[in-house]
Amino acid sequence: MADAVLEFKGTSFTLSVIHLSTAQIDDIRDTLADKVAQAPDFFNLVPVLVNIEQLGATIDYSAIKALVEEFNFTFVGFTGVISNEQRKLIRDLGFSFVNAAKAVVAKQVTAKTPEPEERSALASESLAEQVAAKQMPVESTLFSDKVHRGQIRSGQQVYAKGQNLVVIGSVSAGAEVIADGNIHIYGALRGRAIAGAQGHQHAQIYCQSLEAELVSINGNYWLSDSMQDHWATPVYIHLTDTELMSSKLV
Amino acid sequence: MARIIVVTSGKGGVGKTTSSAAIGIGLALKGHKVVLIDFDIGLRNLDLIMGCERRVVYDFVNVINGEATLNQALIKDKRVSTLSILPASQTRDKDALNKENVGKVLDDLAKEFDYILCDSPAGIEAGAMMALYYADEAIITTNPEVSSVRDSDRIIGMLSSRSRRAELGLDPIKEHLLLTRYSPKRVAEGEMLSVEDVEEILAVPLLGVIPESQAVLKASNSGEPVILDIESDAGQAYQDAVDRLLGETVDFRFLVAEKKGIFSRIFGG
Repeated sequence: MADAVLEFKGTSFTLSVIHLSTAQIDDIRDTLADKVAQAPDFFNLVPVLVNIEQLGATIDYSAIKALVEEFNFTFVGFTGVISNEQRKLIRDLGFSFVNAAKAVVAKQVTAKTPEPEERSALASESLAEQVAAKQMPVESTLFSDKVHRGQIRSGQQVYAKGQNLVVIGSVSAGAEVIADGNIHIYGALRGRAIAGAQGHQHAQIYCQSLEAELVSINGNYWLSDSMQDHWATPVYIHLTDTELMSSKLV
Repeated sequence: MARIIVVTSGKGGVGKTTSSAAIGIGLALKGHKVVLIDFDIGLRNLDLIMGCERRVVYDFVNVINGEATLNQALIKDKRVSTLSILPASQTRDKDALNKENVGKVLDDLAKEFDYILCDSPAGIEAGAMMALYYADEAIITTNPEVSSVRDSDRIIGMLSSRSRRAELGLDPIKEHLLLTRYSPKRVAEGEMLSVEDVEEILAVPLLGVIPESQAVLKASNSGEPVILDIESDAGQAYQDAVDRLLGETVDFRFLVAEKKGIFSRIFGG
């Protein structure tokens, strides 16, 4: 249908989630103020969900929303909602709630003796979400690519903000490549490569020859001493919990 | 169209001025009209290497400031009539140059000369940026040694980001790699980076490999560019580089250590 007015499409987004461990508005305000002060521009108008899983039943939803907006976040809704009463309450207040695909299993465990009907609702929901999760499994599919053709020279810095970085060429010693997603280098990596720069556990670094000064994924880094196993060979580097791992590419 | 060629390196002491002088004379000997400009304001050296230090009356900065005309400042080489030298000022510093006026001087020179060779100062500051800004081509002078290679890499990055061609989105500066002070013996012993190592790191086409040679120091001190010493290996290697710059295909020489002959082996030559 070429002249369709609209169409529905499923799209995944990476959203920041604020996990609350207290419902005390003043405490939340103090902590939030500290966090925002560390990087005022970074959070400006960033869409956020608020996770209330760890909180009890008495929550001032409106106050939380107002607080989040006070710090210039764009409030999207609540997540980690446990009971049907909460859902109803949230819906009545005109807010939305979102369930994270990964959290479903954990939620079934933590939810204490749910009502039979609620349990079946959760089960069917989790099944649906697991199917969805299979179709769109990895966070890395969310990033588009920034492609750099040619060598990245000493002293140059290339940052793929919110993207993967593809370098068709080598990265010289003293050069720095940074991406919020993965980094692919179709040449030698002799400089520094920092993947998952804004926090991304599953980011990876691929290169045709590993001769780097430093590689880092999600804040965990290696200096060249740690790369001797696969030095000057085609390698990809990934993260297991907090340990970097290198594996042969071919 | 005049070709504006910058001879640059990032690092100091690798042979920029020696190479500028040799290539300038080499091009002029082929019958091209060549001007050599010393961009190293405050550390004037090119005139010494060219042996014209006693003939400097006006300099580049005088021309920039309108205190002298180009013809007053240009020094004609006594050996090759098609070669001229525009010396740097020894009493000023790099801030004496500005883009606009340098551009005007280069425009004027382009009307008269086929090749404008800009001998860049070391470093990555204003002086070096000024020398490379208007370039069409660059000769990246590098020693087979890690710090020189890294500095060259840095300056190649500058060529592709800070030049006029980069700013206007024109074709990028054509890069040539000139490896100087190359010692095949030390490469064989693993003490020095090989041509292949440097080519792989810098990924720039090779223009020439100049062997480490006693002739270079002698040439510098006597003001007779080494290319005029046709007996020397360095002189011949510069000649080859000039031919390649003019589009000829020339095999690379002086890349392997000379095998000791039987007599020198016996007599410990």
